Amino acid sequence: MWGVLVVNIILSIMGYSVILNIVPKFKDMFVKAHLSGVDLNKKNKPELPEATGVITSCIFLIVMFIFIPFPFSKHFFNKEWGFPHQEFVQFMAALLSICCMVLLGFADDVLNLKWRHKLLLPTVASLPLLMVYYTNFNSTTIIIPKPLRFLLGHDLDLSALYYVYMGMLAVFCTNAINIYAGVNGLEVGQSVVIAASLILFNVIELNGDCWANHLFSLYFMIPFFFTSFALYHLNKYPARVFVGDTFCYFSGMTVAVVAILGHFSKTALLFFIPQIANFIFSLPQLFHILPCPRHRLPRLNQDTGCLDPSVFPFKEKSLNSLGRLVLKVYQMLGLIKVERTDKDKELSTGTNCTLINLALKLVGPTHEKNLAAYLLALQVVCSMLAFVIRYPLASLFYDC
Amino acid sequence: MWGVLVVNIILSIMGYSVILNIVPKFKDMFVKAHLSGVDLNKKNKPELPEATGVITSCIFLIVMFIFIPFPFSKHFFNKEWGFPHQEFVQFMAALLSICCMVLLGFADDVLNLKWRHKLLLPTVASLPLLMVYYTNFNSTTIIIPKPLRFLLGHDLDLSALYYVYMGMLAVFCTNAINIYAGVNGLEVGQSVVIAASLILFNVIELNGDCWTNHLFSLYFMIPFFFTSFALYHLNKYPARVFVGDTFCYFSGMTVAVVAILGHFSKTALLFFIPQIANFIFSLPQLFHILPCPRHRLPRLNQDTGCLDPSVFPFKEKSLNSLGRLVLKVYQMLGLIKVERTDKDKELSTGTNCTLINLALKVVGPTHEKNLAAYLLALQVQTSKSNRIFNLL
Repeated sequence: MWGVLVVNIILSIMGYSVILNIVPKFKDMFVKAHLSGVDLNKKNKPELPEATGVITSCIFLIVMFIFIPFPFSKHFFNKEWGFPHQEFVQFMAALLSICCMVLLGFADDVLNLKWRHKLLLPTVASLPLLMVYYTNFNSTTIIIPKPLRFLLGHDLDLSALYYVYMGMLAVFCTNAINIYAGVNGLEVGQSVVIAASLILFNVIELNGDCWANHLFSLYFMIPFFFTSFALYHLNKYPARVFVGDTFCYFSGMTVAVVAILGHFSKTALLFFIPQIANFIFSLPQLFHILPCPRHRLPRLNQDTGCLDPSVFPFKEKSLNSLGRLVLKVYQMLGLIKVERTDKDKELSTGTNCTLINLALKLVGPTHEKNLAAYLLALQVVCSMLAFVIRYPLASLFYDC
Repeated sequence: MWGVLVVNIILSIMGYSVILNIVPKFKDMFVKAHLSGVDLNKKNKPELPEATGVITSCIFLIVMFIFIPFPFSKHFFNKEWGFPHQEFVQFMAALLSICCMVLLGFADDVLNLKWRHKLLLPTVASLPLLMVYYTNFNSTTIIIPKPLRFLLGHDLDLSALYYVYMGMLAVFCTNAINIYAGVNGLEVGQSVVIAASLILFNVIELNGDCWTNHLFSLYFMIPFFFTSFALYHLNKYPARVFVGDTFCYFSGMTVAVVAILGHFSKTALLFFIPQIANFIFSLPQLFHILPCPRHRLPRLNQDTGCLDPSVFPFKEKSLNSLGRLVLKVYQMLGLIKVERTDKDKELSTGTNCTLINLALKVVGPTHEKNLAAYLLALQVQTSKSNRIFNLL
């Protein structure tokens, strides 16, 4: 087992250095193909290559392809237990889902598909996973947490709903990372922290009963960590490349895949606390209860060189009653700041409902580099909190 | 078995109608994303969406994903034989190779990668197939054809060379289809004929010893046939979309995948005779022994509305001795026509070394629609002769 893990780590480190090496060389090719974006929060507004996440994803896939024989070759597994057929098929199904996601994600970056497609694409890409799960196990029973057992019993068979849950997990993870973005290095940085947390969790659980599931997860998470970390060096402040929606799709799907096949999706979601908070906070704008501008990233203050929260303009009269309620609640909780810009025309502005803008509201105008550091530190703290919830508190909810 | 095949056919026909339905709707989106090409052989030179092969490939993949449980669900297979684990893994590996090829092929269409990358990409995409083959079988022994047995024995273990052969098969199939192109409907049309031929071959062999291999091949070839046929309706003369290198990659890889896993690669190559002929004919230009222009497709004659062979310009003095030899041999065999355009500057032109230009030279100037029909008829004819050859 350890030999196979060592091979995995070596291949991952090779992937890391290849990415650091080749991504800058693709810069001109990407810009020439109209795959570029303007860094709005820099004074000179430079044009950077977009969707470079596709290169990272391809290197990840190549590392995994080369790794295929190692866990499953006759020389390496324990003959007493028999050949791990189901794990082999799951391994291939997982790679197929990730590969399909990268294809669809790259097509999205190239073709600029609509928002409703962003919900459809991860569902399509998770089909191989769901189909193999159905063929192999078809176990759709979940264990009920202790506090609710008096109501629902010890376990509950969700049947088709379980597949909906698995499909939704992929949709959630990809889009949650996608909307928690807008600052150099944030998308990749959060993915790196989540990957490191999951690796730590998997290593701890290698001593437990479900060690095979966690070993399987490590086979994916270690290359994912190293390939994403390489891209982080190129995307952190000051960014030289943009990662594109392709990276967010790749990242969300890889995490969803190991969470589903490793049967630890609830723990995985614990590492997504900032993403979940940002998502819930954003809901009124996502559902257009409050107006939602095209970009909600923070704005650069040209004089100070620091970032301020960005705002959405609105007329109090044009909001419906739900919108006015949400606005009041958010104001009361101190989550957003509403200002009246023009008394006569009754125009107002409210700060956009993202965790990034909230952080700026609390801390005050901050330089982009520091803001990224604060948000990644928040991600690390939330991961540590997740470990506290999972371990000491887990026995309150479950028997294990 | 027949129930599973019927499900496969139904899903494939659904894929067929979805493609015919949605590809025209993507037209504006593709052109806006700068994925477009000019139809050089039309008088008004219209701008058509390029790389629409990616849509066909995605629908093919979705059909295959939905199909996954059917051959392998506990309800369908014969319990006496045990669960077909190896076939399941191979099925997933095959899909992974095809999916990876579509991703890399689409990236090639978007980024315009160099020619040397066109040889590397199919090799990378065939890695899952090779790795699973190594893990499952690692059988690299081939049976020697009877006439050569006195020399090499009954069988020969190629070891690593077998993997090189499998990798090269993917590279060859994808690029052979890619260079046998330039006329509306040719890339898709040739793929449809090859798919139909392989389906017929597989159906015949279902009564043979290796019927499981051929059933496995049918699971891929039937959806491949229907999805490609749908795209053919949109790409045949007068084309409304271009299929892009993405389609050639997808097509070549799908055929290579079934040929490798079904263990009938030699028969599969027999259905590629026009592609092989075109490839060998093109070799001097591909290796720059003779000059190779950017495009070698036939040229439109604005007056007649028919296609003429296209030419490459050259100076006899700037050719090396090998180039001059090849030129003479091709001229002698009547494969190309060399004309002197300017006696003083010693400029000459030669017809480009492709099967398409050769057909035009032999038949004379032809309308694009008829030329496509002739070439596809040639494809069908060579497939038919193969079947007779096989029966013998």
